[in-house]
Amino acid sequence: MKELVDFFHEVGKLRRIPRRGWVLIGVKKDPASITDHSFRLAIMTWILGKKKRLNFERAVKIALIHDLCELYAGDITPYDYESLPKNKKEWPKLFDSWPRFTKSKKLKNFLKKHKKEKTALTKVTSGLPLELKKEILNLWYDYEKGSTKEARFVRQVNRLETLLQAFEYSKETKKRPFHSWWVGTEEQIDDPFLIKFMEKITEKFYHRPRKKTKKIRK
Amino acid sequence: MMQRKRFYLTSKGLKDIKKEYEVLKNLRLVKTKGEVPKIWESEDLNPEYLSFQEDLNFLETRIIELENILKNIELIKTPSKKKRDVIELGGTAVVEVEGDKDEFTIVGTLEAKPSLGKISNESPVGMALLGHKVGDEVVVSSPIKTIYKIRKIKYN
Repeated sequence: MKELVDFFHEVGKLRRIPRRGWVLIGVKKDPASITDHSFRLAIMTWILGKKKRLNFERAVKIALIHDLCELYAGDITPYDYESLPKNKKEWPKLFDSWPRFTKSKKLKNFLKKHKKEKTALTKVTSGLPLELKKEILNLWYDYEKGSTKEARFVRQVNRLETLLQAFEYSKETKKRPFHSWWVGTEEQIDDPFLIKFMEKITEKFYHRPRKKTKKIRK
Repeated sequence: MMQRKRFYLTSKGLKDIKKEYEVLKNLRLVKTKGEVPKIWESEDLNPEYLSFQEDLNFLETRIIELENILKNIELIKTPSKKKRDVIELGGTAVVEVEGDKDEFTIVGTLEAKPSLGKISNESPVGMALLGHKVGDEVVVSSPIKTIYKIRKIKYN
């Protein structure tokens, strides 16, 4: 049982790791952590998936473990693939547009992130009994690949949880609408029910920016 | 009853699905012949048993899912040369969006990998791009209006 105590202790540390996107947009007071995100994602997966023919146990497990790797790999956003402006005050402006990459750069980014996260997850689960370790790694591979309908569903809900949080911060601060999350999400989700839900999130939280924002070039 | 849905797949995607189906069927054979661990009667956690049980149940579900996909496949075919000026399933649109260049290959939901530029034909952007030609400006409007200017269309 000691190995489980160690594992749960490590997992608890995710409460103290803020999600990178919220740091970049300048949330100073208690930015939502990996734990906050995974918890709401699991709840959303369960409730939004009720009309789907899903294996709920698998879907919720995927939601709960999908970011465990970030304990050692950190939270990598698409904005981290290029150098960020030196002035941190410029960072939120980056989120006015979704970052674009060439096909080969997309592949390179994906492989680099995948390798880093796989190594990290192997480390996180290293002390666990073999079958449990295998189960967590297999769930994560499924999530990464989007093989099963459960994994594809959680991947999309993951986008929506992030969009919801971005819009909540945007409404709270009344500063920017953070277009990038919306634009990126429109390219990434395809479940008709989730598309409708995305529109509902927007109806409630979207607001126009006070001033016209300028796109910055690095 | 499983939902009747057509699954659009490229020939590569179909090959992968068939391969996975064969591998899983063999795995099921091996697992069902193997020894099933006895159920633990104490309240202690026994991950080995739980995981094994989970695996078998999942294996069965996944095999059924793959059988459903294989029964409802629509193979994506490359259009004739005359029709390659229009973006259809399997085609790649090189676009200009928010002043930057990007490219999207439109695939079915099973093969969509947005981080690699493969987007689903059922996603808002995938749906909007379908049927358009080079020079078209495709507007995806929701509260936030985004314009995708099609610069080039490619088919492999």
